[in-house]
Amino acid sequence: MNQVALITGGGGGIGGATARRMAAAGMTVVVSYYDRGATEKVRGQIAAAGGKAEALSVDVTQAREVKALVTEVAQRFGRVDVLANIAGGSFYTKRIEDFSWAEWKEVIDVNLKGTFLMCREVAPIMRQQKSGRILNTASNYGVTGSALRAPYAAAKAGIITFTRSLALELAADGIRVNTVAPGPTDTERVMEKETPEARRQRWHSLIPLGRTGKPEEIAELFYFLTTPESAAITGQTFHCNGGLI
Amino acid sequence: MRLKGKVAVITGGAQGLGRAIALGMARAGAKIVVADLQADKAEGVAQEARALGAEALALEVNVASEPAVQRLADETFKRFGRVDILVNDAGVYLKSPVVSKSEEEWERTLNINLGGNFLCARAFVPAMRRQKSGRIISIASSIAHTGAKEFADYAASKAAIIGFVKALARELGPDGITVNAICPGSANTDMPRRHRSEEEVMARLKATPLGHVLEPDDIAGSALFLASDAASYITGQAYNVNCGTYMI
Repeated sequence: MNQVALITGGGGGIGGATARRMAAAGMTVVVSYYDRGATEKVRGQIAAAGGKAEALSVDVTQAREVKALVTEVAQRFGRVDVLANIAGGSFYTKRIEDFSWAEWKEVIDVNLKGTFLMCREVAPIMRQQKSGRILNTASNYGVTGSALRAPYAAAKAGIITFTRSLALELAADGIRVNTVAPGPTDTERVMEKETPEARRQRWHSLIPLGRTGKPEEIAELFYFLTTPESAAITGQTFHCNGGLI
Repeated sequence: MRLKGKVAVITGGAQGLGRAIALGMARAGAKIVVADLQADKAEGVAQEARALGAEALALEVNVASEPAVQRLADETFKRFGRVDILVNDAGVYLKSPVVSKSEEEWERTLNINLGGNFLCARAFVPAMRRQKSGRIISIASSIAHTGAKEFADYAASKAAIIGFVKALARELGPDGITVNAICPGSANTDMPRRHRSEEEVMARLKATPLGHVLEPDDIAGSALFLASDAASYITGQAYNVNCGTYMI
């Protein structure tokens, strides 16, 4: 049967690579992102490679938009086999006293609340199917903490334990829920802020493999967690960071 | 054929998880070396692998013996010329309370379960370094995190494997070698049956959040992933495969 994967953050670096990986494996991929143009670009890449994809924009912090997105996916495809919550970001690097309440909420909402809203809408569909795989996205910072990224680290730590709770809640219905925690990854968004040389100098000595990660390497881990080879895995956090932690 | 042309050495490969990993890797195109104390059973697994079309070598090896591990490395290089994947699965699981555990029993567990990881890594790492590539996968256990009554030596050895794996990952990362552990929950093999009745074992195996009985092939699935090119950026990790019984 043709599997349907819904991917938030699908217009971004890791989300786009994951969308392409799932499509290459034969899944029908719904690429969701806040920015319509980026979503269309990934949809076009998948189509050009012979895959099946739809582009639908969503702001994952808005309950109404999330509900509309999932309703549309359910109507058009009749099922959701894989939900990958990849929308997120740290957005700010600054001291705690400089964070406004609005900025704090923005970071918590895009990462943690968005994951909750998506899961809340998709879980009943997977329950009816008696199958499904949910993949959430954390970060090494969700375990180690990060100076100047307090809300991001808090949100990512929250996602790790939200995942465990949801895994226990949905296990009896044959639904697996896991977290992927990428380390420093060369996405367009971070590469815009830093030269490759500055990035190399910052990370080289800290990462045993001596380099930052590629979005495609994170995508492989997301894909593995959708396959029957990972049938006995739920509630876990999978770091992919070259040995950083 | 994700492991086509790769050479994989699997210690403890004669039965249980090791056998499933060895045959899984053979199916994925690897040439395998099945190393085990039980020579007959190891040869049986090698024959199964050959029936799948893979090249396979069986060797009688005590992983706690320096000369035996050296011979394993020598025979591997003589037959296949290289090593790409080392799976450390050989282990013992001996039950007794700490207060009555003999020093011999303690040493046997630590020397085989943990010392075998050290000796095998030491024997195969130089070749991996020269190739600038390699994958080391150690089978730890959920008991490394949870402990287990009357298996204190086993729990200590498995927790130590995780520490060893993380240290070795840092040491070998610059040479493009990844080192990871898998922590299986209780699996449907002979091992738990040595200390519990069949009814008890099956009841425990089914009592997981997923309600899925953990089979050796479930562990092989993760081992194959970690051995493949898809896991090129994963090192120093201990991945839990336990049907949701705990989440650390």
